[in-house]
Amino acid sequence: MAEKEYQRLTRARPRSRFSVISSGNSSLWLGKDHVLCIDTNGYNESYKRFYFRDIQALVIRKTDRHKWWGLIFVVLALGFFLPAAISSEVVIKYIFGSIAGFLVLLLLINLALGPASACQIRTAVQIEDLPSLNRMRRARKVLERLRPLVVAAQGELRPEEIPLRLQELSTSAPGTMPSTSDTSSYVIEDPNTPPRTL
Amino acid sequence: MIPSLILCPKCKNPLTESVLNRPELTPCPVCAAPLWVEVFPALFRRTAAGRDGEAVLVADEATCFYHPQKKAVLPCEGCGRFLCALCDCELHGQHFCPACLEVGRKKRKIKSLENERTLYDSIALALAVAPLLIFYLTFITAPAALFVAFRYWNAPRSIVHRSRIRLVLAIIFASLQIVGWAVAIYFIATRRKSHG
Repeated sequence: MAEKEYQRLTRARPRSRFSVISSGNSSLWLGKDHVLCIDTNGYNESYKRFYFRDIQALVIRKTDRHKWWGLIFVVLALGFFLPAAISSEVVIKYIFGSIAGFLVLLLLINLALGPASACQIRTAVQIEDLPSLNRMRRARKVLERLRPLVVAAQGELRPEEIPLRLQELSTSAPGTMPSTSDTSSYVIEDPNTPPRTL
Repeated sequence: MIPSLILCPKCKNPLTESVLNRPELTPCPVCAAPLWVEVFPALFRRTAAGRDGEAVLVADEATCFYHPQKKAVLPCEGCGRFLCALCDCELHGQHFCPACLEVGRKKRKIKSLENERTLYDSIALALAVAPLLIFYLTFITAPAALFVAFRYWNAPRSIVHRSRIRLVLAIIFASLQIVGWAVAIYFIATRRKSHG
């Protein structure tokens, strides 16, 4: 059997934070030399590739989102449980009780998934949110999986090297950094045709 | 404390080196948001300057197809045209001219340049299943689903591995709906005949 070109890193998660009827999902896949971020609306997929050699940083921020969801589930579960407990009607007891049970199940799943996170990937030309890495545990797992691949492509960066490199960057004269806007010797009139030399 | 190029995603202030590549969550020095920042050598890499084409010095020298006054350095691997250093676009070790890159992107010949795909299998399945709630719509959507499923049977599906199961299901559901309509029309017609 042929080896799959991409391995799944994360399942599709909604891109919008409060989307109930999802406007789009995002998932992460691992390719041979890049990470593929797929944004889909169900009928169309758009792809963003982050090559291991280009990844500059991964930033994971622990958020309180899981706590807020937990609080919402507790309040709603209590809201449905109390009428079920008080009511003498069997039908109401069953309906409200089962809804409360379902909300408790969601609460337990939320607790089991652990703390929430927001993750960004940075390259030289973009900073991209990775909404599918919305839990700390999953984000750590993915980072642990990506780190050796990025290190293999770029080399190791030891923690003690970082201050020196930052120092170098901050002390380098502004003129030493090559300008990307230097188009003195050619002009790009149409991005779909080759540049014209002057 | 040296500020780095990385900004805190919450407060947007530059993070200091004390936060970078730590084994555990470290608070942002400004907003105290717990962060885990992993930086790689590419952050400190300087952008290489682009190359200009070299001018032709000898009359018989091979020249760039797009810039006849510039020296050709290699042929395009797509069309074979000679290219100068300025026109040479390298992609995964292959060299193309800008026109071939554009054609490759538009005609989806270069997979790594593809940045969008339409999921015809999902469209066909949605056409076959979604209108079931409003049954009358299936009179139109079932043939449409069949058309999409057969027309795009060989069209590229998702870039990640995906089977044809959606297309197969769309064909099954749409066929059942068409059969249902045919049976309903037949019964209505025969009942009218018998009443007439």
